[in-house]
Amino acid sequence: MTLFKRWLAGIPAYLWSGWGAIASLALLLAAWEVISVVYGPMILPDPLASFSRLAELLSGGGAWSEMLISLRRALSGLLLAITVGSLLGLAAGVSMTASTMSRPLVTVLLGMPPIAWLVLAMLWFGVGDGTPVFTVFIACFPVVFIGALQGTRTLDHQLRDMAAAFRLPWQMKLFDLYLPHVVSYLFPAWINALGTSWKVVVMAELLSSNDGIGAALAVTRSHLDMEGTLAWIVAIVLALLAVEYLMLEPIKREVERWRELDREHA
Amino acid sequence: MLTALLRGLVGVSHPVWMCGLRPFFLLATLAAPALMLVWLAFLGHGLPLPPTVGGPFVWHAHELLFGFALAATAGFLLTVVPEFTGGGDFTAVSVRWLAFAWLLGRAGFWSSGWLGAPALAVSGLAHLALLCGLGWLAAPRLWRDPERKHLAFLWAVAGLAVCVAGFHVDALRGEHPARWLHAALGVYMMLIVVAMSRVSMRIVNHAIEEAGVVGVEYRARPPRRNLATFCIGLYTAAEFFLPESRISGWLALAAAAALLNLLNDWHIGRALFSHRPLMLYGVYAFMAAGYAIMGAALVFATGAFSAGRHLLAVGALGLAIFAVMGIAGRAHCGMTFETRQWLPIGAVLLAAAALARALAAWPGANAPVVWLVSGLLWSMAFGLYAGYMAPLLLTARADGLLGCKGTAIP
Repeated sequence: MTLFKRWLAGIPAYLWSGWGAIASLALLLAAWEVISVVYGPMILPDPLASFSRLAELLSGGGAWSEMLISLRRALSGLLLAITVGSLLGLAAGVSMTASTMSRPLVTVLLGMPPIAWLVLAMLWFGVGDGTPVFTVFIACFPVVFIGALQGTRTLDHQLRDMAAAFRLPWQMKLFDLYLPHVVSYLFPAWINALGTSWKVVVMAELLSSNDGIGAALAVTRSHLDMEGTLAWIVAIVLALLAVEYLMLEPIKREVERWRELDREHA
Repeated sequence: MLTALLRGLVGVSHPVWMCGLRPFFLLATLAAPALMLVWLAFLGHGLPLPPTVGGPFVWHAHELLFGFALAATAGFLLTVVPEFTGGGDFTAVSVRWLAFAWLLGRAGFWSSGWLGAPALAVSGLAHLALLCGLGWLAAPRLWRDPERKHLAFLWAVAGLAVCVAGFHVDALRGEHPARWLHAALGVYMMLIVVAMSRVSMRIVNHAIEEAGVVGVEYRARPPRRNLATFCIGLYTAAEFFLPESRISGWLALAAAAALLNLLNDWHIGRALFSHRPLMLYGVYAFMAAGYAIMGAALVFATGAFSAGRHLLAVGALGLAIFAVMGIAGRAHCGMTFETRQWLPIGAVLLAAAALARALAAWPGANAPVVWLVSGLLWSMAFGLYAGYMAPLLLTARADGLLGCKGTAIP
C-alpha cells in the first residue's frame, strides 16, 4: 500500500520531467523545419503540414482502424515471443548443456535480418496476419530468450544451496528467490522486444499486407504523397514515444531501483 | 547645498562607492520608474521622447535593456565576481569610472537625435567601455579560478558587448537596429539562468531549513540548466538570422519546455511557498510562458507575439533584477534578509505588471489603459525598492565594515 502511495505521489514529478523530452523533440522539429525550408516540400513537407494531415487522417476515422490492425499484429507476435521465449529461455538456463547448446542457435537467430525472415514468411503465409505476426515473433524471440537464459544462469548458487539446506518450501523458493532475480532480467528483455515488435510490424506490413500502418505507408509512397507518408511516420513515432515514456520508462526506473536496492544491501 | 551634496557623492570616499552594487543598483532602481514614466507620458499624452535612431520603440527597449538592466547587471557582477572567486572587492575608483561610463552612455544616446552621429558614437563607446571594463575587471579572476566554474558570466558580458556594438554600428549605418535589442534580451535570459542557479542554491536551501523540512535538498542541476541556456541561445540566434520564421518558433517552444524542465529542481514541497524562493521561481515561470507564447505565435500563428516578449522583459528580467537587488542588495550592505513586506509586495506588483502588459498585446484588450496600469505597477515596484533601499545604498554599513562582504545567512 505504501508502495502504491509512493508510486502515485511520484506521478506528477515524473510527468513534469517529460518537459526535458519535449524540449529535445522541439529541437528535432526545428531541425525538420530547417531541412524542409532548404529542400522544399517535395522532398520534406514541414512539420505542421504533416501534423495537420495526420489530424485529418485521424478525424476521418480511417487511421484508427489501421493502427488497431497493426497493434493487434504486433501484440500477437510479441505475446507469442514472450511466452515461448521466456519458457524456453528459462528451461535452457536450468541445464548447463542446454544453454551451451542453444547459444550458437540464438546467435544465428539474432544475426539473421528480419527482412530475410519476412521473405520466408511471405512464401509460407502469403498475404494476411500470418506474415507480420510470424516476423514479429521471430524478431523478438531471441531477445526474450537471451534475457530469460541470462536471468537463470546468473542465479546465486550460494543462495540456492542455502535454500536447499534450509529446506525451503518450493513456493518460497520460487517467489522469494528465483522470480525476483529472473524478472529483473526478463523485464528489460520484454521491453526491448516491445520496441522491436512495433518497428518490425510496420516493415512487414509495408511489404506484405493490404492493411495496417505499413500498408498505408506503401500506398502513400506509391502516390508520391510526401505529406501522407510523413503523417504516418509521425503516427508511428508518436505511438512509440507514448509507449516508451508512459509505459516502459516508469517500469525501467522501478526495475533499476530494485537493482540499486540490491546493491545497497549487498 | 546641492553642489556640496553632489561633491560629496562624487568623492571616492563616499559610502556609495564602497561596493559595486551600491551605485549601480541605485541607478537601476531610479532608471526603472523614470524611464517607464517618460514612456507612459509619450504613450498617453504624446509628450516627445528624445528623437533617437529607430524611433520611440527602439528608445524604450534600448533604455530598459542597456540603461536599467545593464546597470543592475554591472552592480551584480561587480559584487559577486569577487565573492565567488575570492580576492578583494574592486576598487572604488574603477567602480566610479564604470558608473561614469553608464551616465555618459545615457547622455550620448539621448542626445543622438539632436547631435547626430558623434553623439551616437559616444553612446556606443561609453556602453562598450562599461562592458569592456566589467570584462577587464572580472576576466582575470574568473579565469584564475581553479575550476573556472563561473566563466559563463564572462561570455554573457561578451554577448552583451557584441549586441551593443552591433546596435550602434547598425544605427550609424542608418539601418534599423532593433534585432540587436532582441538578441540582447536573449543574452539576458541566459545570464539570468546562469546567475540564478548560483543565487538560488543558497536562498532555497535556506528556506527549506527555515521551514523545518527534513530530508529535502535543493540542487540546481547543471544538465537541466545547460539544456535551457542552449535552447535559449539557439532561439536567440535563429531570431537574429531568421526573424519571424517557424524555425525560430520551434526553438522558442524548445526553450519554454527546457525552462519548465528546469523547474523540476524546484518542486521541493512547501518550502517553495516562502516568498524568496517563490520570487525566483516566478522568474523561470515567466520566462517559460514568454517563450511558449512567442513560439506558439510563430508556429501556430496564434498572435500576441509581443505578449511573450514582454513576459520575458517585464516578468523574467524585471522580476529577476528586483529579486536579486532585493536579496543581494541588503546582504552586501551588511544587513540580514529583508523581513519587511515591501519586498514581496514589490514582486507581486511586478508580476501583475508583467501579466497586464502581456494582456495588452492580446487582440481585443483596451491596450492604452492596460499599458498605463502595467507601467504604473512597474514604477511602483521599483519606487518601493528605491524608497527602502536607497538609504542603505547611500550610507556606511551598520556593522562598521567596508566593502561588499556579505552577511552570513542566519
